[in-house]
Amino acid sequence: MGSIVCATRGGEASRRTQQRAIILAKERDADLVFLCVVDPGFVEPSDERLQGALEDELKRLGRSLLCIAQVRAEELGVETRTEVRCGPVLENLVEYLRHGDAETLVIGAPQKERKVDALDPKDVERLAENIRESVGVEVILVE
Amino acid sequence: MEGLLVTETFIVVMVMVATLVAIAVRRIRLPYTVSLVLVGLFLSAQRFVAIDVELTPELILAMFVPPLIFEAAFHLDFRLLRQNLTPILILAVPGVIVTTLLIGGLVSLGTQLALSTAIVFGALIAATDPVAVVQLARNLGVPRRLAVAIEGESLFNDGTAIVVFQIASVAAVTGLFDPIAGVMDFFVVSAGGMAVGGVLGWLVAQLVARVDDRLIVTTLTTLLAYGSYLIAEHQFHVSGVLAVVVAGLLSANVGLAKTAPTTKIMLFNLWDFLAFLANSLLFLLVGLSVDLAQLWANLGPIAVAVGAVLFGRAAVVYGSSLLVRASTGEPHIPPDWRHVLFWGGLRGAISLALALSLPLDLPQRDTLLAMTFGVMLFTLLVQGTTIQFLLQHLGLTDRPHHRVAQEKNMGRLFTARAGLTRLKRLHTEGLLTQEMWIGLREDYHQAQAQLIEEINRLYADHPELERELLLHARRDALQAERGALGDALRRGLLSDRTYEELSEDIDHRLEALDLIEANIQHGWTQTEA
Repeated sequence: MGSIVCATRGGEASRRTQQRAIILAKERDADLVFLCVVDPGFVEPSDERLQGALEDELKRLGRSLLCIAQVRAEELGVETRTEVRCGPVLENLVEYLRHGDAETLVIGAPQKERKVDALDPKDVERLAENIRESVGVEVILVE
Repeated sequence: MEGLLVTETFIVVMVMVATLVAIAVRRIRLPYTVSLVLVGLFLSAQRFVAIDVELTPELILAMFVPPLIFEAAFHLDFRLLRQNLTPILILAVPGVIVTTLLIGGLVSLGTQLALSTAIVFGALIAATDPVAVVQLARNLGVPRRLAVAIEGESLFNDGTAIVVFQIASVAAVTGLFDPIAGVMDFFVVSAGGMAVGGVLGWLVAQLVARVDDRLIVTTLTTLLAYGSYLIAEHQFHVSGVLAVVVAGLLSANVGLAKTAPTTKIMLFNLWDFLAFLANSLLFLLVGLSVDLAQLWANLGPIAVAVGAVLFGRAAVVYGSSLLVRASTGEPHIPPDWRHVLFWGGLRGAISLALALSLPLDLPQRDTLLAMTFGVMLFTLLVQGTTIQFLLQHLGLTDRPHHRVAQEKNMGRLFTARAGLTRLKRLHTEGLLTQEMWIGLREDYHQAQAQLIEEINRLYADHPELERELLLHARRDALQAERGALGDALRRGLLSDRTYEELSEDIDHRLEALDLIEANIQHGWTQTEA
């Protein structure tokens, strides 16, 4: 049985997505990996030290978010692993899924009526479709 | 001696009136400074204040302006200022020059004033003084970036307007204007003021970093605020206002980074108090000084001036936004913010000081004075009282219900914990019996458990709050790390070089957190999921 990868960033849909991944891992008795890809490419800082600090702080934030998810999964009796990657989102997700034993990817999209996140649900649907096509894993979209 | 007592009595009465106004405005929805002007007008009209009030430019510029400017610069977040520097500088430098020319041209067309005299008016009325708006923005919780943009523009445009005013006044009186010499003067006076403020601010920042004595640090900043103004103006004949701006920014953002939290709290309280005092006296005196009969006699020119000021402000705010967008491709000033910058461009202390310092031989000086008072009153009484509705209409004060609820729950949790700690101490000291302590403790524990449950429910429904809290916590932790570095430096555990290096790293991390937070609000940096 391949593992379940839950990609999360602490956004509006994160709790629902994590919950769904935990339930799925329990049902299938599969390994669960919480993955966070942080992309510092949204800004081009003029100095290298700021760029370094930005990458490091994004990774720390990602690690903290994944640790919280891990604790919640443990409370429900599911052991998990965590992974933080840095760089463009789609490329990193695809690379991680290709080189691991992932069978299923669980990702979330913000609810359309709740404008708390600047993320457009259509972007997430496109991302899911891209991954399905390029890696061939099952992609579950949690809305 | 008697004169001194009379002045002291007058100041005590003014401060008392200002305090009563401050208490009263807590109940009515009117900006504090606007209320002070209204009370001043009322007292003046009713002849309640028997003492002659003489508002001299020296009094305003040397006594009131340094603490006001210094306090604003002192509180300004340097990182946010840097993020908004392009639009702020466009509004504050070319913006002021264009405003001056537009207002001058329109006033000259609409009144009997000569163009050179009208341009002097344009320059003196170009500087914005958004005390009332900033105060409202803070109270209503508008985005911090918007408040920084308003404050930042006001800080820098004061300096620009004063320099332009001086050049325009000389040209109006002598009839001579050399454009090249004017531009050179502008750069020398502005850059000179910033250099004086930079040197003095840096020196004081270095001293503040090495002296952990609250009283000495407080005295140093007071000396810096008044000293930088006096040295720049009277020793080097450069811009005192710009010297105070740079000195305030440097001492707060470089010097204070290394001081103990208690010193910081004392300093911020002191400058809050001094600015409150200066503002209170100034706006009350403005109300008392207005000659209503003279305003009535100049109603026509005042109406033209108000129209010209509004047109000039609109042209510069909306025009500069287009300019920034064209040059960088990015809308640095969001459309809604432009309306706030336009309608929030109130006029105050600097315009008044400059009008009072107009050369006595300037043609139609009295008309210019009446126009200045008229525009000030219009911006304070009309724009100042309606800006709140604009902010609300634009949705800039709206905060989602779940954010308010989370803030309240956190506040209640903090207070409950503080209460429990206090009760424990009373029990340890023997002031509470064992039974009382157990009873009260259980009650507090239950209340805390309910709050924690409510907070967890909010986090479950709105996980993004959790991510924001992590960012805030990290920022708090970094500030504490910086404080610890300062302690280690003072105790001789770190060399200056190591301190600088580690301190710079923390600054970069804080800046990175700001970028992450801004990006989370505007786009996505990490995969959702």
